[in-house]
Amino acid sequence: MKGIVFNLLEEAVTMEHGDAAWLHLVEQAAGRGTYSSLASYPDAELLGIVDQAAAALSLSVPEVLRWFGEAAMPLLAERFAGLFELHRSSRSFILSINDIIHPEVRKLYAGAACPHFHFAEAEDGRLILGYQSQRQLCNLAHGFILGAARHFGDAVEVEHLSCTHSADPFCRLALSWT
Amino acid sequence: MKHAQFPIREAAGDADAVLVDRLRRQLQQERRARRDAEAVAERGLRELYESQVRLALLQRITDFANQSNDFADVLSVALKEICLHMGWEFGNAMRVSDNGSTVTACDTWFASDPERLFAFVEASRRLSVERGEGLPGRVLRDNHPHWIDDIGEEGWFLRRAEAADARLISACAFPICIRDELVAIIEFFSSKPMVDKDAILLTITQSATQLGRVIERERARATLIHDALHDAMTGLPNRVLLDERCREAFRRLGTASTGIALMVIDLDGFKAINDKYGHHAGDALLVEATRRFQAAIAAFEQANPRAGHATLARVGGDEFVVLLDSVADCAAVERLAEMLHDVLRAPTWVDNDQVAAGASIGIAHSSDAYDDVEQIRRDADLAMYEAKAAGSGRTVTFTDALGTTVRNRMALERDLREAIRDKQFLLYYQPIFSLSDGPSLMGYEALIRWQHPTRGLLDPGAFIEAAEESGLIVFIGDWVLRQGCSALARLHKRIGRKDGSTLPFVSINIAPQQFLQPNFAQQVQRVLIETDVPPDCLRLEVTEGVAIIDSERTRQVLEEIRAWGVRTSLDDFGTGYSSLSYLQNLPFDTLKIDRSFVASIDDPKSRNIIRAILDLASNLNLSVVAEGIESQAQGRTLIEMGCEYGQGFHLGIPLDEKSAFALIDQQHTG
Repeated sequence: MKGIVFNLLEEAVTMEHGDAAWLHLVEQAAGRGTYSSLASYPDAELLGIVDQAAAALSLSVPEVLRWFGEAAMPLLAERFAGLFELHRSSRSFILSINDIIHPEVRKLYAGAACPHFHFAEAEDGRLILGYQSQRQLCNLAHGFILGAARHFGDAVEVEHLSCTHSADPFCRLALSWT
Repeated sequence: MKHAQFPIREAAGDADAVLVDRLRRQLQQERRARRDAEAVAERGLRELYESQVRLALLQRITDFANQSNDFADVLSVALKEICLHMGWEFGNAMRVSDNGSTVTACDTWFASDPERLFAFVEASRRLSVERGEGLPGRVLRDNHPHWIDDIGEEGWFLRRAEAADARLISACAFPICIRDELVAIIEFFSSKPMVDKDAILLTITQSATQLGRVIERERARATLIHDALHDAMTGLPNRVLLDERCREAFRRLGTASTGIALMVIDLDGFKAINDKYGHHAGDALLVEATRRFQAAIAAFEQANPRAGHATLARVGGDEFVVLLDSVADCAAVERLAEMLHDVLRAPTWVDNDQVAAGASIGIAHSSDAYDDVEQIRRDADLAMYEAKAAGSGRTVTFTDALGTTVRNRMALERDLREAIRDKQFLLYYQPIFSLSDGPSLMGYEALIRWQHPTRGLLDPGAFIEAAEESGLIVFIGDWVLRQGCSALARLHKRIGRKDGSTLPFVSINIAPQQFLQPNFAQQVQRVLIETDVPPDCLRLEVTEGVAIIDSERTRQVLEEIRAWGVRTSLDDFGTGYSSLSYLQNLPFDTLKIDRSFVASIDDPKSRNIIRAILDLASNLNLSVVAEGIESQAQGRTLIEMGCEYGQGFHLGIPLDEKSAFALIDQQHTG
């Protein structure tokens, strides 16, 4: 996992809960505490911190990941303003992930293992986002979607139609803008 | 997200609280410093990544550009590489033409999904627009890149409907330049927004530079090829290209034997203009003639669509060739020749002087008699020489009969050269008599014979015309003069000079070409000195042909040689023009009455003419020799009419030197 994700999590936690909260989570998770955006760290270290947060807040891991994704979006918009300026809606922003955002991420962080999203339009008009990853971070994606909608002032509803956590072969999220 | 309190330990005391506060601030500074450092590194990494990818792209394009000589291939590869690199759906190349007023697609494009883009590709691959029109037209007008962020909103974009169907939303187009000249435009289309225009600009500008170099190389190569195949002055195809087209046309004939016509055009009087006004004038004349020929050929092709395509080439100094490659109507070719003569009629201005250069045209048509196009070309050449020999402004079409005549003449010329080299000529001498007293032998007319190795002894009628046409007459004439004088000297030596007695003379025919040689008089003088023949024993016979060519020069030469004592005769008098002004202006000693009048002396008309000539000669103080006296009656009539001298079979046939000169001995002994 790229250090930038740890940085975003640290920032989100610190903003909402203060410095001590982050120190506590890192200590509990036996993490190293200081992360550089340029480096990579084991996925398990991030998930360990997330687990500690879930425990401390009495939340489920998926709930923490969704919170993190949503909270990280304004931080991303601050860091990578150019990628946001191209879009007028969260829908077009989300549709550009594979073609624009991930290539840009790879430019910054060599070897970043960005997930590939499949897009399709469902019969009911909802946008279907297909996702398959060893990391099983579909809830983080869910959070990012919510954060993007908030950034562009849209309202979006996300439904997990299928999920690898429920032993489905891959995750399918249905997105509808209202 | 629910809010909950993390369990945080309270500070132990005030001092610790201060320390914690300081450490917190320190931590925040550390974080900022780290983030700043990371931002710098990220920027560097991003730039490094982009430049590596861009350089790799450029390297691929450059490598291919260096391998290939085909601009379309290189362009095609570049469009594909750029599209794949940028994630764009369509790239299209267009070339600038018509002096930069138009840009036209050259069917060189790349489409990531050709099926979906079919309609847009079709609308683009042959698109041609004027300066300022549509996306490429704007690049052409402004000579800088243009961007479209949302095609749907740009009403001026010409392929909007097709772009919408292909779901293309953004576009950009870039000029390709060679130095300051815009030579091509490449345009790209995408269904996604084009981000980071600075990076795109950098990448495509560098690619465009590479492509510009390929065009430059292509042009240099095209120029070399063009120069190798065209005449630099007129821009017309040269001999190399003409030969190639001739062979190609001949090959296309296949089993059909007719269809090609070759026309050889030679400008008449070109050399004279070159000599008089200088080469720049000659060059200007050639350029002007080319322009007129081209206009005439264009008009001909328009009026005779069935006459095929005409290639005009310049193959030598003042020689042009027209190849007509699918002629259905032979008469049309002669009509074209007439048109070419017509356009040359109007004079051209050269150095404030008007000059007119006519042309001689030879035509040959393909037939089953030809094995290759070179033979057709040779026959067209031959026809052109016939046309030239007939005078300026003529056209001659080659026929088999002409070919036979010319080939015979060429064989004769070849034989004549050998005859000069191998000394196959000999002189016969026909005695000339004084009619009034006896008759008594006064001298001889030297007459040439050719001891031909296979055809036997030939009279001059069989070869003099060919000798004159080939210019060989000058060499033969020199030999006759020298040989005649040498023989006379031998005769004089044998009979011994006797004071008071009249030595026999020799009369030698001089052809116009020989007479008008710049050093003719000196030549005569040299022969006289070398042979020691007294000048007044040498008579030179010329026809009025010399005076027609250049009467002033004729007068000067006659005066010069007469000043030494050489006598001059006007031969064949009474035929031809027989201009009295020549008699008035030219210094002759003798008139020779043409044999035709003597032959018909029984006819009162002929007699009247002979009488008039005798009267004229008497009044001008000229002596008269009658030629062709074949009977005693003719001789008697001439004597009665007062003709002083005569020659002919009746009096003495031409004989070899020994026999002819033996007559003198008979006279002296008798």
